[in-house]
Amino acid sequence: MMTSSLLNSMVSTVAAIAPDTAGNAAQPAAVGHGPSWVLLIPFLPFAGFLLNALYAAFGVKSKLPAWTTVGLLACSFIATLSMFMGYDGTPYTVQAFEWFSIHYGDKSFVANFSFYVDTLTIYWMLFVTGLATLIALYASEYMSHDVGQGYNRFFAAFALFVVSMSCLVMGDNLIMLYLGWEGVGLCSYLLIGYFYKKPSAVAAAKKAFIVNRIGDLGLALGVYLTFVHFGTVQYAELFASETLQSYMAAASHGDFGAIPGEAQWIALLLMIGAFGKSAQFPLYVWLPDAMEGPTPVSALIHAATMVTAGVYLIARMYPVFLVSENALPIVAWIGTITAFLAATIGMAQFDIKRIMAYSTVSQLGYMFAGLGFLTPTGGAYHVLTHAFFKALLFLCCGAVMHGFAGQLDLRKLSGLWKVKGWGIVSLGMLVGCINLAGVPFTAGYFSKDTILAEAFVTPGYAFLGWVLILTAGLTAYYTFRVFFRVFVGPVEYHPGDELHDHDHDHGHGEEHSHDAGQHGDHHADHFHPHAPGWAINTVLVVLTGCSILATGLYFVGADKDAHTKHYADTMVSASSASYHSHYGTHAFEYYEKDPEHYPQPGHGPRGSIDAPLAMPLTGGDPHKMMYYISGVVGVIGIALAWLLHYHGRTKASECKMDAIAKRFGPLPRWAENKWYVDELYHAIFVKPLRIISHVFHWVDKLLVDGIVNVFGFLPRVFAWIIRPSQSGVLQGYAVSMAGGLAILLFVVLIIVSRAGGAS
Amino acid sequence: MSLEVWSLLALIFLPAIVGVLIGLVKNEENAYRIALATTLALCVPAVGLLGAFDFSNASTSQFEHSIPWVPGLGLEFSIGMDSVSLLLILLSVLLGPIVVLASKTAITKDRRMYYAWLTVLQGAMVGVFAAQDLLLFYICFEFTLLPMFILIRKYGSTNRIAASTKFFLYTFTGSMMTLAGLMYVVWFVAQDAQLGRWTLDIAALTHYAGDMSLTEQGWVLAAMLAGFAVKVPLFPVHTWLPLAHTEAPTAGSVILAGVLLKLGTYGFYRFAVPLAPEAFFEYAPAIAILAIIGIIYAGLICWVQDDIKKLVAYSSVSHLGFCILGLTALNVTGFSGSILYMLSHGFSTGGLFLMIGFMYERYHTRDMNEVGGLASKMPVWATFMVFFAMASVGLPGLNGFPSELLCLISAFQSDAAWNAAGEPGAWGASLGPWFAVFAGTGMVIAAMYLLYMVGKICFGAYKEPADHHPHDELPTDLNTREIITLTPLAIGCVLFGLQPTLLLDAVSDPVNNTVRIVERANGIEPGEASPRLIINEHADDQANDHGGDSHD
Repeated sequence: MMTSSLLNSMVSTVAAIAPDTAGNAAQPAAVGHGPSWVLLIPFLPFAGFLLNALYAAFGVKSKLPAWTTVGLLACSFIATLSMFMGYDGTPYTVQAFEWFSIHYGDKSFVANFSFYVDTLTIYWMLFVTGLATLIALYASEYMSHDVGQGYNRFFAAFALFVVSMSCLVMGDNLIMLYLGWEGVGLCSYLLIGYFYKKPSAVAAAKKAFIVNRIGDLGLALGVYLTFVHFGTVQYAELFASETLQSYMAAASHGDFGAIPGEAQWIALLLMIGAFGKSAQFPLYVWLPDAMEGPTPVSALIHAATMVTAGVYLIARMYPVFLVSENALPIVAWIGTITAFLAATIGMAQFDIKRIMAYSTVSQLGYMFAGLGFLTPTGGAYHVLTHAFFKALLFLCCGAVMHGFAGQLDLRKLSGLWKVKGWGIVSLGMLVGCINLAGVPFTAGYFSKDTILAEAFVTPGYAFLGWVLILTAGLTAYYTFRVFFRVFVGPVEYHPGDELHDHDHDHGHGEEHSHDAGQHGDHHADHFHPHAPGWAINTVLVVLTGCSILATGLYFVGADKDAHTKHYADTMVSASSASYHSHYGTHAFEYYEKDPEHYPQPGHGPRGSIDAPLAMPLTGGDPHKMMYYISGVVGVIGIALAWLLHYHGRTKASECKMDAIAKRFGPLPRWAENKWYVDELYHAIFVKPLRIISHVFHWVDKLLVDGIVNVFGFLPRVFAWIIRPSQSGVLQGYAVSMAGGLAILLFVVLIIVSRAGGAS
Repeated sequence: MSLEVWSLLALIFLPAIVGVLIGLVKNEENAYRIALATTLALCVPAVGLLGAFDFSNASTSQFEHSIPWVPGLGLEFSIGMDSVSLLLILLSVLLGPIVVLASKTAITKDRRMYYAWLTVLQGAMVGVFAAQDLLLFYICFEFTLLPMFILIRKYGSTNRIAASTKFFLYTFTGSMMTLAGLMYVVWFVAQDAQLGRWTLDIAALTHYAGDMSLTEQGWVLAAMLAGFAVKVPLFPVHTWLPLAHTEAPTAGSVILAGVLLKLGTYGFYRFAVPLAPEAFFEYAPAIAILAIIGIIYAGLICWVQDDIKKLVAYSSVSHLGFCILGLTALNVTGFSGSILYMLSHGFSTGGLFLMIGFMYERYHTRDMNEVGGLASKMPVWATFMVFFAMASVGLPGLNGFPSELLCLISAFQSDAAWNAAGEPGAWGASLGPWFAVFAGTGMVIAAMYLLYMVGKICFGAYKEPADHHPHDELPTDLNTREIITLTPLAIGCVLFGLQPTLLLDAVSDPVNNTVRIVERANGIEPGEASPRLIINEHADDQANDHGGDSHD
């Protein structure tokens, strides 16, 4: 298990607290300069963006933008692969150009347009560029209704997103991360609002951007504070900074009193940014609405890549989070709350894409919980597996939406497996579902277990662990609820409303009607679903394969020297996210061997450990126990879904759950309405702010400007008093009055300040 | 006189001469052509000056020239520029052709007068930045009021009379008080035993003004604030701006946002800080609080506007708050960020005003309830609109971000408690992190109102006013001329966003210099002065010696 892998390095660290002996690649003595072809990774997609923008300017009316984007992204992916292959274990930076550099005294503010490559970067970039390529290919077909209309715009924003994401992940300083952070936010805004004639899409896009901006403010302040406190925003310098090292040493004894409050605030501020981008409670509300965007966007941006940026941020800045007493516990709690809350909402939704959206929020909660439980490996591992299976799930939903004229209601679709041409989609959906539900021996199962087990390893989190186990059961239930309703059972389907009113809904204009033309009759009885073509099917097959093969990642890539257990562990442990134990809280095995040197736990009930930690109720190693517990819980969830949504179901719209739901009173309805969180936010934030703004507006008009108008009126009054007969040239009076005022003031100034100066 | 001095003189006086000529031409179309040719031609000497400028010595006044006027009173006509002035001059000159091009179809009546005053305004603005002499500065500073007053009064929209009157009286009254303060400084320096004669030379005044007592400085600062704060404008003396911006013709709004507001912040940087360094230090937190109130208050007001132009006008008040915040931090990052803001704000906000102008020419309304969803009819226009809105939001990679970043960092840094004492340049007034936090909410608010604007005007279902009919000359979407007008601004946004270092390097010396003035006045000793600072001090002394002696 991981704990033992962490053990060895920990021994060395704890034995000699001097942190630079940890052999941690994140604390480089010198960061080398890498080959400049690495710049191709962000710049090829950028070329794609420029080309697509040109196509848009010249009104290209073909699928050229799709092929350009797919081609360039594929090249970018190949470059990332060779970056992976060629990586020799030493982090390096590659500079594109100077961005900020201010020098004053012996200090400076330097943040260049440079890229920092270490294993964490590579780990993230591999799936970002890989999935982006696949999803661009998928989108080439999915967006084909819009060729000649929004097609260029779509792929321009798509390529720009990959550029921004690369800057976010590869940037060598926090300002670059911020650039990427806001850049992905912009692309997300543009793509959610892709159907810009649709008011709900515009509102969703706006909401996403603004809620994210609230997080961004936290991130920005965190970055500024990092600079003010540590004097640098560059990772290499920051992680090597003696100040940070001394804090980490103090934290490893649980001595947080020795760390200045400012330094501890950094993590708390960065965390807010992470909560915004990764849709964590209380800033998660934008993500479900973001489903207004085209489905490939949901798959890439709002499931697989962008929303994991918060996980990346915390993993990347893990040393800074470790020196904050409260940051990681808050992350753990928020993650758990989010995971549970989103799962309860997901259970009650009927729109399959929204279910997937809530499940994304929920799974992101798991990742955050993992980070909070001191297992950045678990968090990052779940990011990877989730990226595959969630992208797959979304793309399957998208295929359904595409083929059934926008139909996403699970009460109106049933038995798709048996419909001709939908086998690949159904198979993909099944593979995605078993991963998400955590069916034993799937990739999702292993990565989730890594997180769950740590809840029982790190002291103080057992309760959260149980909540997450319960959530895993709920996840299995709602996931298979979708599968049993939509893909198996009696064959029945009703087309969505796009069939009747394309222009209104999609804003594609008349282009869309060829689709309707193919279907011939508009009546539901004669509706023929539009089975996915080769591009969509190819991508689904590849992603299905990836999701299955991702299981293998649990068994390969172990590094004996670094004592890591599998690929994700190896990659994360060699980066700044490495938790090569400045704390010993993890390693109860270590305790058994050497109780005297057992360090104080950094988190949770400090100093209260008298006995080795063991899994509550069951005893034994949590990592081993979790295989059974979470496996059983997952199966129970699936069984429930089978019983309630499949067993004996004869119609798409009716199942056994309907009767049971009634017994819960208003709860299902509240859950369906997302616990009214949106309404609550509107009532306590938006509305009052709006009222305040109106008040300000009137104050400005009547009071602030009113006083000025009174003063402005005075000259006229004077003029009227002095020469009532000559009412013209009022401004002349005003000017002379102002002039007189100046002279008067000058005299007063001399008198007053001389008197004051003398005294 | 060297070629550079001639160039500078041309930049100041040629527009005035051409302005008179334009007033005399018969054909109104020719007025436009001459104005365009002149403003384009003026870019040549401006770029020439940029090329000739010695950036390794950026804090000394270069291309200096002075003509004695009334020697007994120290009155001279004296021009020159350091790098800050140079960049602001460039900005003023480059905006010239843009605003002329933008006016081609917008102005239909009495075009001679319009272009004449527009051209004259160019010269006056350059004069403000090039002045090395208080009198010249003040004359140009005040003179810029007149052309703008006429542009608003004669070519503005419905409420133009009230707007222009308020604009004129408000700023004029304020700057009268500034004059009083400046006069006091001149009087004080003339009394100073060390100098013992009258001088209006800015460098000399800067050198000796620090001897004033804190009380005197406080009054002088108050007097200067009266004028400069109105010009910026700082809350609560901002109410003239939304009105003036809204009613002004597009070109007027662009120049107002791009350059005229910067006269206020330039005044802060060039006069308020160096002439009253102790008082400014003392009152910096108070000014910063006003700036922050402005950021939030004006930002929220933007959010409830229906008039799109008023929205952008209020956004200027909000944005300029960041600029003042940077100045009040009194450290290197703050001044750098603030100057960057002065240079870059006009690109995004000017761009937004142009967009609104182009829309207004087609739809004759600024009410976002009447017109909206333009992305479907005017995709090119909408693309530019989203672009400039994002620049204004402060998206990294575009122009708003670097300056906002530096201003906020400076507020953070500007707290003695956060810095080991004596670090040169890092030190500043006592602002502190809370100032950055509250000012930072401006980032969120900016997103709120700008996306509200974009969402209404660009996206959603297409809406047009009931009596809408196509424009006689203009196509539905932007024409080539309009795109050419916007392109330099868009390029500027990207350039400022990706290469702020060019500008930051250019202004580094003057900024370090100003920080030294404040530090010295407040008895702060830099710990170990870096070589860079030593060079600066040397340059500073030279400049001051030079200023002390009479110019030869």
